[in-house]
This record gives sequence, structure tokens and C-alpha cells, in this order.
Amino acid sequence: MSSERARHAAAALLLLAALAAWRFAGYAGADLLGEIAVWAIFAMSLDLITGYAGLVSLGHALYFGLGAYALATLTHLLKLPPSAALPAAIAVAAVAALALGALAVRLRGVFFIMITLAFGQMGWAYLVRSPVFGGIGGMSGIGRLDLGALGLDLANPRDFALFAIVVAAFLYVLLALVTASPFGKMLVALHQNEHRARALGLAVERYTLAAFTLAGAVAGLAGVLEAMRTGFVSPELLTWTRSGEVLIMVILGGLGTLAGPALGAAIWVMLRHYLSSLTPYWMLAMGLVFVAVVLFAGKGVLGLAMPRRALPRDA
Amino acid sequence: MLEARDLGKSFGALEVTRGISLRLPPGARHAIVGPNGSGKTTLFNLLAGELAPDRGRVLLDGHDVTRLGPDARARRGLGRSFQKSDLFPDLSVRENLAVALAIGERRGAVFWRPFAGLPGHAEATAALARRVGLEALLDQPARTLAYGTQRQLELGMALAGAPRVLLLDEPTAGMSAEETHAMTALVAGLSRSIALLIVEHDMEVVFEIAERITVLDRGAVLVEGTPAEVRGSELVRRRYLGERRR
Repeated sequence: MSSERARHAAAALLLLAALAAWRFAGYAGADLLGEIAVWAIFAMSLDLITGYAGLVSLGHALYFGLGAYALATLTHLLKLPPSAALPAAIAVAAVAALALGALAVRLRGVFFIMITLAFGQMGWAYLVRSPVFGGIGGMSGIGRLDLGALGLDLANPRDFALFAIVVAAFLYVLLALVTASPFGKMLVALHQNEHRARALGLAVERYTLAAFTLAGAVAGLAGVLEAMRTGFVSPELLTWTRSGEVLIMVILGGLGTLAGPALGAAIWVMLRHYLSSLTPYWMLAMGLVFVAVVLFAGKGVLGLAMPRRALPRDA
Repeated sequence: MLEARDLGKSFGALEVTRGISLRLPPGARHAIVGPNGSGKTTLFNLLAGELAPDRGRVLLDGHDVTRLGPDARARRGLGRSFQKSDLFPDLSVRENLAVALAIGERRGAVFWRPFAGLPGHAEATAALARRVGLEALLDQPARTLAYGTQRQLELGMALAGAPRVLLLDEPTAGMSAEETHAMTALVAGLSRSIALLIVEHDMEVVFEIAERITVLDRGAVLVEGTPAEVRGSELVRRRYLGERRR
């Protein structure tokens, strides 16, 4: 089985598992599923730049938070209909990623990590203080997409979970197509050997910036969904620990596989949910899980479940 | 085609390139020789745009490209290979060549169709592989190739962008006698639509390929001329050729 096929199979299995869980889930279970789907979209967006293009960002929550805040601002403060606010909110996250990415993609390694972290912290610091956007308390009363035509009410966790799972599946397909395209191959190539890609004539920064912008837009969509899920936004959405958590999900699931980070999101969110109700030391336990995966399964959880050859090496 | 005018480059107090000028007409077969530390690779890096000169200019097709980076120069028809194999290690031979071709054809930004489905791409990749003798190894990851084979792939990737000027940095370095022979034949058989500048230690290879030779010594041009002139030069004999025979 080719690596691509194996990953599509893993993604299909994951989708089936999510739909089966949804079928039998109660109110609380559906809420958890919705949360997982949102994190899965967020993690897949980070995988595009970190797993494929090899740029480790520690500020990806900025675009997640911007999407959420843009939706809140447009629907709550400006009273726009959610159907118009949704694409506008994604555009806000994309434009922010384009502008900040234009500076960040010139840097590599630890400097890229630091500048993305700095941008994220600046966004958080602004929103914590800003009275317009509700300061530390954030905003509530956010409009949800009206899917009455499909018989869905997004205020209902069961309906929201189904919607979010479908959106996550759609984004998997979209990102899988992009990463299988020449553009995606260029990202892998410049990750493997940037020097050579440049000598061959590749304008490296244009490609990394395009990837960064697309990742920002998809993270923005995840943020929009999160705002619709909970009905409120707060600066907590932009904390750097959230950026760290999504990075952990990507590494946990398997870098550069898309399906892996989605699986990583599911594992992480469920672990957090169940462990936090079992023990006050749940974060310690999660840390141990992460350490074990990094030490014993360098390719992530997906790598454990798959034949060795089916995964990209050193992705 | 490619012209260097009075290039100068220092690293700290060390002047590595001292006023080198060079002209490569279309279809040229030009070699640069010189002992280790004479500034051959630095000159290459200045020509390819990996280093910016402290003074002097580089012209490609009469256009000043001194301030352009390596990718912009590559897009203007300057190809190069590297002394140490510089490949995409985890990609297969096929993918290495296909990526190089896609960049050369400027199709890297295509995101709406699969990489494997680019029209004409598979044929072009196969043809390029045949050209450098790698058609039997297409599915091997580059990192698992033997050293000499990596050099062939290195050349194939440099050719992928259909360069009009090709810089080859020691294409036979570290090769066995047979591999050297095959590589020399390959380079000697390249189309005359390509102007070739080659850095090479092996003087047999140089005399077989080059029609002009520049001898570098301590960052400056010692002698430039035809192979016969260089061979006959007393200066070169003392400084370089003699050293190697002893």
C-alpha cells in the first residue's frame, strides 16, 4: 500500500469512528466530538506548515483566535448575518497570516518559532486589554450559522458535532489534494533540502508564505467553529499554550500525514477530558503520554498503526 | 552568456577572490582549475548567487544579476551541481528529477491537480533519467544510492531546468575510474546549447572536456588559455601541475 493510500485509509477509519461515536453519543459525548473535530481542523492546518513545509510555529493559536474574534465582532458587535461573517472571519485570519507570515518566513528554526510566538503573544496581550473586544472577559452572544434548511441547529451539541465532523472531513480532502499537488511537493522538497530547491530556481519564501497563509485561513475556520460551538470568545483562545497544545497533537499523531494530527487531536482531547475527571495530576499524565510517544514512536501514533514503509521518512 | 567582471570577496581579513574576470560565450567548454584553497568554490558561489561579492559584477545574458539570489538566477537559465551531493534525500530518484523538472518548468505553484498527473511530466522525467543513466533506479530513495549514482542524479537535477549556463562543481570528485569515465562522457556529450563551466581536480577530465582553462591561484587568475597553452605554461607547471606529479 502506498503511503498516501494508507493515510487516506486511516482518515476514512477515523471518520467512520467519529460518525459511529456520534450515532451513540449523548449530549456530553457529542459536545466532546464537536470539540475534537474543531481541534482536528486546527491540527491539520498546522500540519501543513510544520509537517510538510517543516516550519515549527508556536503561535498558530493567533489565527485560530482571530477567526473566532472576527466572527464575534462581525455578528455580535456589527450584527452581520453569520453566513456573511463566516467567510469574512476566515479572510481576516488569512490576511493576518499573509502579513505576519511575510516577515516570519524569512526566518528559520528557532527564530521562526520565536517570531511566531511573539506575534501570538502580541495578539493575546492586545485582546486581554482591549475594551472594544471585551478585554479578559471576551464576548458572548455570537451568531451561529443557520442550517435550518438542512434540519440542523448548531446550538444543539449533537447537530454541531455532525456539522463539525463533516467540515473536518471536507478539509482533510482539501488539504490532501493540496499536499498531493505540485505545490505540496514543493513544500516537502524545500523542507528536505531548501538549499537545493533554491538552486533549482524555487522562490522558497513565496511557497512557505502561501502555505502559511492557507494554514492561517484554515486555523481561522477552526476558530470560527469554536466560537460557534461555545457561543463565546475570550483571549484564552490565543494563549501560547493553545499553540503548544496543537503542536503536541500534530507530533503525537504524526507529522506530515494530515490524518495523524486529526487522530492526535482526538487522543489528546479525550485524554484531557477523561484524565482531568480522574486525577488532579492529569497534566502530568498527559505529559508522560507525550514523552512516551516521542521516545518510542517518532512518527506519531499513526506511525505505530501503519507499516513502516507507508510513512514519509523524517517528515 | 555568463560574465564576471572584477569579482572580489573577502571573509574577514582573508581575501578569497581577488579581482576575477571571466567570460563564457554560448556553448563554451570552460574549466577552472587550481589547488585547494585557490578560491574555485567561492567563485562558483559568487557566480551562482549563493554569495554576494564585495565588488565586481556578474552578468547573465548581458543583464546585471549581481544582486539576484540563486533562485532568481536559476530562473534566468543558470543551472548548477554541487560538489557534495545535494539532493532531496528521502524522495525517490523519480521524485528528485520530477521536482527539479517542475521547478524548471515553473509548475511548482500548481495546486489544483496531483503532482503525478502533470501533463507530460512522467515522460519528461523518464527521458531525463535516461539521459543521465538512472532509468533502472527510479524508485530508489536518493539517500540509498551509491556515491557515483548520486553524482549522476546531481547532474540530472542540474539539467532539469534546461539551463543555458551550467556550473558543475567537481562532477567526478570521489568517483571510481569507471564512474569518472562515464561521467566524463556524459558531460562531454552535453548539448552545445549549454555553456559549461566546470571546476575539476582530475586534469585528464579537464583536458578531455575543456576548450578553455582558467587556472586560479590564491584567489586570482594565474593563467587563462586553451588547454595547450595551459599545459605549456611554465608558471602553471611550477605552481600546479608540477606539484601533482611529484
